[in-house]
Amino acid sequence: MSAAGTRSAGIATPLIDGVEKVTGRAKFTADLPAREALAGRILRSPVAHGAIRAIDTARAAAFPGVRAVITGAHCDVPYGVLPIAQNEYPLARDRVRYVGEPVAAVAAVDDATAQAALDLITVHIDPLPAYFAAKDALAGGAALLHDNKPGNIEREVRQEFGDVEAGFKAADLVREAQFHYAEVTHAQMEPDCSLAEYDAERDRLTLHSTTQVPYYVHLMLAQCLKMDASRIRVVKPFVGGGFGHRTETLNFELIAGLLAREAKGTVKLELSREETLVTHRGRPETDVRIRLGAKRTGELTAVDCEVVQRGGAYAGYGLVTILYSGALLHAIYRLPASRYHGVRAYANTPPCGAMRGHGSVDVRHAFESLLDELAEGLGLDPIALRRANLLEAPVRTLNDLQVNSYGLGECLRRVEQASGWRERRGKLGRGRGLGLACSHYPSGAAKPVHWTGEPHAVVNLRLDFDGAVVALTGASDIGQGSSTLIAQLAAEVLGLGVDRIRVIANDSALTPKDNGSYSSRVSYMVGNAAIAAAQNLKKVLVEAAARRLEANPADIECLGETYRVSGTDRTLAYPSVVAAALEESGPITAKGSYSTPPESQGGKFRGAAVGSSAAFSYGAQVAEVSVDEEMGTIRVERIWVAHDCGFAINPLAVEGQVQGSVWMGMGQALCEETQYHEGRPLRANLLDYRVPTIAESPPIEVHIVESRDPGGPLGAKEAGEGSLAGFLAAVTNAVYDAVGLRLTELPASPDRVLEALQAKRRTERLQRAKMG
Amino acid sequence: MSVQILPQFRLARPRDLKEASALLAGDPEARVLAGGTDLLANLRDGLLAPSTLVDLGAIEELAAIAGDGSGIRIGARVTLARLAADARIAILYPAIAQAAASVAGPAHRSVATVGGNLCLGTRCVFYNQSEWWRRANRYCLKYRGEVCHVAPQGNSCQAAYSGDLAPALLALGAEAEIADAGGSRRIALSDLYVEDGAAHLALRAGEIVAAVHVPPARLRSGYRKARARGAIDFPLAGVAAALRVEAGRLASLRVALTGTNSRPFVLDGTAEWIGKALDPTALASAVGKLVQHQVRPLRTTVTAANYRRQVAAALAQRLVRELSA
Repeated sequence: MSAAGTRSAGIATPLIDGVEKVTGRAKFTADLPAREALAGRILRSPVAHGAIRAIDTARAAAFPGVRAVITGAHCDVPYGVLPIAQNEYPLARDRVRYVGEPVAAVAAVDDATAQAALDLITVHIDPLPAYFAAKDALAGGAALLHDNKPGNIEREVRQEFGDVEAGFKAADLVREAQFHYAEVTHAQMEPDCSLAEYDAERDRLTLHSTTQVPYYVHLMLAQCLKMDASRIRVVKPFVGGGFGHRTETLNFELIAGLLAREAKGTVKLELSREETLVTHRGRPETDVRIRLGAKRTGELTAVDCEVVQRGGAYAGYGLVTILYSGALLHAIYRLPASRYHGVRAYANTPPCGAMRGHGSVDVRHAFESLLDELAEGLGLDPIALRRANLLEAPVRTLNDLQVNSYGLGECLRRVEQASGWRERRGKLGRGRGLGLACSHYPSGAAKPVHWTGEPHAVVNLRLDFDGAVVALTGASDIGQGSSTLIAQLAAEVLGLGVDRIRVIANDSALTPKDNGSYSSRVSYMVGNAAIAAAQNLKKVLVEAAARRLEANPADIECLGETYRVSGTDRTLAYPSVVAAALEESGPITAKGSYSTPPESQGGKFRGAAVGSSAAFSYGAQVAEVSVDEEMGTIRVERIWVAHDCGFAINPLAVEGQVQGSVWMGMGQALCEETQYHEGRPLRANLLDYRVPTIAESPPIEVHIVESRDPGGPLGAKEAGEGSLAGFLAAVTNAVYDAVGLRLTELPASPDRVLEALQAKRRTERLQRAKMG
Repeated sequence: MSVQILPQFRLARPRDLKEASALLAGDPEARVLAGGTDLLANLRDGLLAPSTLVDLGAIEELAAIAGDGSGIRIGARVTLARLAADARIAILYPAIAQAAASVAGPAHRSVATVGGNLCLGTRCVFYNQSEWWRRANRYCLKYRGEVCHVAPQGNSCQAAYSGDLAPALLALGAEAEIADAGGSRRIALSDLYVEDGAAHLALRAGEIVAAVHVPPARLRSGYRKARARGAIDFPLAGVAAALRVEAGRLASLRVALTGTNSRPFVLDGTAEWIGKALDPTALASAVGKLVQHQVRPLRTTVTAANYRRQVAAALAQRLVRELSA
């Protein structure tokens, strides 16, 4: 799209809400003025698995200052993000399934009173056998967490495409390996908080919450509170990060609503860091067994992959995660045959969910690690092996994913050159090495979680007497910069400066419904909707200018602040164009929408929708590491990462997102993990849940590759997730280059690395002795 | 649960040590407040409920770094940031500067104090949790419980001392200046500590650590710390060493450790190398072995005890080799 006037897209643009954030003026949910608000607090299960025999709340209810006490008896409707897998209650009914599960809640005049009331509630729970590892939960004869889920299997997936056996037979080299990944969690900066205001006279509820998906929260509030959706208003204020923690309605949001209604007032429910980390929904503990075959040329012939995930106590996004893990074996390399077996197990740990790189990260690490083993076995350079398997867009994968743009080859070229790969790999001396890996990610799930048939995204642009273009959107800016992107795209189409655009987001009473910020859907889908809305508005303005200038609309040039009759010097300034447009109809609302094209909506087999997307991003990265073999520590010295985002609408935000992805991958690769002691979360604080600090953050050199997706907004694709998964194997492959050790267990914390190094030395000693 | 509530307490702000000491002596439930970086987190976790916090912030004599004739006196209220940035200390006592700079993060160090770090509470994954968590885990020997979850067979608390400054000062032969209402006394810093996770400080009611005295420095010294990240973390193990070489012979050597036991301690058995011709590799290796045998890390951190033992030895070996080379 070529727009005359001011250029706004493709230009590095500071986030339009950045000033509020750096000055501290931004109001997050916990900052909202709520003078009358009661303090909400949650009583949580101390037991990992048990039958609730009795809850006595009488003393708490009678405690002075207490306005409401609720238990599972106050809500008998289950909730969950997937309509076919709703098996969780806001407050446990009959059974608790993990330590920390909400059992009762109190609203009182202040926190101390609420806590005192919680201490007066007695809960009798008869313990049941509890399972903290997938293999124990899946073992024959294990007690069931959910009576309708035999074997404690949430979902088992078997998918086979092409002739796998023939593929392995045709291979010159076959390699197989087993990997283990600890559970990781989002550790977003802002802890969970909801402010619920119930208007008892009118039976209306307003909820402000820390969410990525206000629309889903709205739906679940209506469902669990049995209220007509029109009586509910959901607002998302500033939100301090999400990374997937907030891509589904969470129990505290429903509890806040229930408490406010019960108290007939306003309740602020602010969770501690510990509670936020127990609410969890992160990446599950995962075991991967993977087998790959390749020809001498490096061309892959087949993959066979098994994945077991410990999903935690409830369904959440679980079946999507286990399907993603299989689906995203594809759409990055040419793959003639694939077999996937995935098992998502229930266990007595906090529920897992979506986390940046959802479903793809652990399997991608395993895959990319094994690619390096194949390359070594075949005597090929790791980059050469990957080059032998590049796709050519457009292409449809074996599992019916439609790839329309593909910049992975260019990504490889960039990082190969920038890192000095050819000259430096294998030559940095003992203890220092280079490693490479690739990754990819969908730009939005082609089918939304709640399939309604409606467009995927809608943006409204309002224009009134002041000439400001007000973009109304339901897209949740959680720090990633979506509001800025919408402003840039509307401005670009209209030829106006970004400061002519005002973005109003996430108030269900004002803004069009949006599915939310997850699966990297916003830039692509909402971006396209914003462009369509701006084009519709521009049409109205051009027609108005034509009327006023007494010309044919086809002859009107839009130059942003000026409209001109082509080839003449007859012009009309923007404010006059606006006045002309309003004269006819009064204030204007122009609408734009986006729907995923049918060919991108996946195949016909069961589970085919998961993984399908209108476009995929691609990334390649090289890590340089040094390894201290006495301490077991890995230091990431430098990262070169190239990310194909189609087109960088805001190069500044793209660079930030790619750096953030790399950095989050570093946490999972090196130091982050949850841990449970008899089901009790041992690391539910930021001291023991070890998010990397700036002290060990390497320089990250970002290269933006622009493959121009034919369906993307100005050719853009996602930029926020695709470069996470590649980091893990780039680092472990670099460790192999440095000290000859293949790490198959993450995080590669110093104790694990030291143990692996010692095990390797033992094995080598034994081998030498044998050959002796 | 939910947002952690600070318990109610009275805040006292005495003008001098005598008054502070009297406040503490008169009320066994009172606690000293300096930087508060350790104390406030523990208060929010419900680990103590002091009647009074005795804030040392107004006592100027605690805030100085000064020459004391032969060595240097560091007041208990000196912040770790200031200590780490002090040019004299960096030159004369590198171990102290390195230890101070390795504590937590810059924001902590800007308020955390020397006295606070020396008197840091012992830590354990079964203890440093929220009240809700500990109650669900039936508490522990250190606070309100019957059992030590680290060593269930034993009857003593195994929580680990995790201050970074103490080993540096121990290696340098520092003394602690202990004040009470009647005046002050000086003790060897090592006598401040007891190998007991539940009561690791040998302070009597009303006593305050007012300062540390470091003897004149003609020592090469250093501090090394094992941790998972480059900042924030408490030491999984920390090692300080100070030594002097004269005419090719080892004239003195002291090594001290933290993070592995319930108190910081000086390594035994280094004396036999004194006076002998210096062989850095042999010395370092011997020190590493001594450390292996004398540290006693247990399951008090999320990181395995065996790792902590090994890296304590590796760090000690590395540090002694560097200092004696």
